[in-house]
Amino acid sequence: MATNEKVDVVVVGAGASGSVYAAVLAKQGKRVVVLEQGPDWQLSDLISSDIWGRRVKPAGGPFLLEGKHPVSYGYQAGWGVGGAALHYFANFPRLLPNDFKIKSEHNRAHDWPIAYEDVAPYYDKVARDVGVSGDAKAEEIWRPAGQPYPMPPMKTFPSGQVWLKGFEAVGIRMVPAAVGMNSTEYKGRAACIYDGWCHVGCPIGALANPLVTYLADARKSGAEVRPLSTVTRVLTNTEGTRVTGVEYYDQKKERQVQPAGVVVLAAWAAQNPRILLNSPTDKHPEGLANSSGLVGKYMMTHFASGTLAIFDEDVENHMGTTGAQYMSYDRYGKTSHKDGFGSSFIVAGFALKTNDLGGIANARVDLFGADLHDFMIRAKRGLTRIGTFGEELPNIENRIELVSDKDEFGMPLAKIIHSYDKDAEAVWNANFEEGLKIAKAAGANEVWSARGNMPTIHLMGGTIMGTEASNSVVNSYGQTHEIPNLYVAGPGIFATSGASNPTYTIFALSLRGAEQLAENWATLAG
Amino acid sequence: MNLIERRDFLRGTATGAFAFTIGGVEVLLSPREARAQNVPFRLLKADEAQTIEALGETLVPGAGAAGVAHFVDQQLSVPPEEALLEARILNVRPPYANFYRAAVRVIDNASQTINGGRKFAQLNPSEQHDFVDAMRQNKIQGWRGPGGPFVYLVLRSDAVDVVYGTMEGYEALGIPYMPHIAPEKRW
Repeated sequence: MATNEKVDVVVVGAGASGSVYAAVLAKQGKRVVVLEQGPDWQLSDLISSDIWGRRVKPAGGPFLLEGKHPVSYGYQAGWGVGGAALHYFANFPRLLPNDFKIKSEHNRAHDWPIAYEDVAPYYDKVARDVGVSGDAKAEEIWRPAGQPYPMPPMKTFPSGQVWLKGFEAVGIRMVPAAVGMNSTEYKGRAACIYDGWCHVGCPIGALANPLVTYLADARKSGAEVRPLSTVTRVLTNTEGTRVTGVEYYDQKKERQVQPAGVVVLAAWAAQNPRILLNSPTDKHPEGLANSSGLVGKYMMTHFASGTLAIFDEDVENHMGTTGAQYMSYDRYGKTSHKDGFGSSFIVAGFALKTNDLGGIANARVDLFGADLHDFMIRAKRGLTRIGTFGEELPNIENRIELVSDKDEFGMPLAKIIHSYDKDAEAVWNANFEEGLKIAKAAGANEVWSARGNMPTIHLMGGTIMGTEASNSVVNSYGQTHEIPNLYVAGPGIFATSGASNPTYTIFALSLRGAEQLAENWATLAG
Repeated sequence: MNLIERRDFLRGTATGAFAFTIGGVEVLLSPREARAQNVPFRLLKADEAQTIEALGETLVPGAGAAGVAHFVDQQLSVPPEEALLEARILNVRPPYANFYRAAVRVIDNASQTINGGRKFAQLNPSEQHDFVDAMRQNKIQGWRGPGGPFVYLVLRSDAVDVVYGTMEGYEALGIPYMPHIAPEKRW
């Protein structure tokens, strides 16, 4: 085992949240090491192919999946620098004020320890940092005013436009989607060319992935990224009052220790609890930051109700972006649907490819043989879809636990246990029903719901934020209640899930946490 | 080949084709070319490959000639973190060969039970269609192995990949491919 020279900060994971911490702290002159489990991808690795795009999807020790609605993480999580944000769709909606106080307003779930107003300035900062296109003014029918986005909205295409009549018919207002993409050249990065390969990684830098934003900034400021480095434990001092670094296995699969003044776990909502639970000591027998027993609890996902339609006209579904063209918060009120509690967030208009989970062939997964081929011919010009994300309320039974099976480094694997409740199922069904009404009112030729197993999208929770150690793992900055120089970053710290895509909020909360850490460095660092 | 060399090999020379072994030498071919050249399978036994090819052809016409069995075989032979199979994103637990072998076994066992001892590849096209239709709906009695609908989903995805997911597949459908970085050999 080798022990490295002590650094100021070790960041575990080079995805959306870890990149922000690395950038902020490296710019402050801190010596930062980022340990990333997967490869050190370059933009030139991002081949325009759904088949080759699977290289950036999860590998490493697998998570075992249990529950009525097992978490389908393989499509969404990441592998390598950039993490999931290397292949995300870059939809940049925000949470809304009502997300932060569900307990106060509805006596359901729990409140966040902060309000929308605490996060809003960071949404604005992130927009300037990474580049966001959209129409902030138009969004202000649903949220408090903020700063305008630095770029105008993206182009729209018939695949999105054809739905507008249907939305209007049911009283839903659509506005240009806020996206982390360049509608114009931004900070020396190219404008989008609308070829629809966002979901396998954008190699031209038009999409705000970490390689061209925060991770690039971090590297420029001297942060060292060590790829193929798998962290297995966080280490503490004898008293258990401070973390002292991490244990990891390097690309030669040799054990290393990296001492550090601060540890930031940014390894994904499922992996952070796995590492904390695998780091027990005599002072922390149930794992680090886990005196409440809440590490790994309250795992949450979004469910989506997709509605597909074939129109007579050519909707140019090969053009555009994988992210949405239009969005709406008109069903975001927690009681928008009478049979189920929780917000819904609506998006419309996406570029389609032929294969993979979101491809044309999977729009009718029941078809095969000649019937499938006939469908491909029919759908290639006229197929388009809309989607409505739904909010899952936190449930303590949805959790991560270590199991006896181990990975190649001897670290216990973990299982994710997840089931939706009746509220989620009711909202899911209500959104399908509304989707069909919209499609019919839009004048589609063929209309159907993308039903199947209830999907699990955007894993969140497991290290939730709150006011104290009895009700949460971290405070609103991501700092663990029990150990002041141990931070957790990413969607794992969300107290509730909202219904909108989480990455913009991940960036914003990470920036807020990283700035707090930097401002309080003298008292926090070990 | 150690890990770093393998990654460089993949990154530098094989952005489109896959590495197949002919006479002990690694060559870069598309699965269609590998099938046409009768490249030996790396992991699959001949009867397993036959079943995968027949199933692929039933699921997506043209998948057999497009080399679905060679595609699956080559992908099963590489480390899981390099695999490009849809199984990876459908949360199949590596090594993926375990799943494919179990899938082939349950398909052929069920086919033999239903069809007088004939494996899936020995059925006529109409029988194959009916078998797959029952499998996808989980309606085959005595099915013992990975769930029929899930086997259908995974193998259908492989067949879709090699027929519709290639640059040739887009061209045949008349859909503009519009790559930023084109896969080598139009894959």
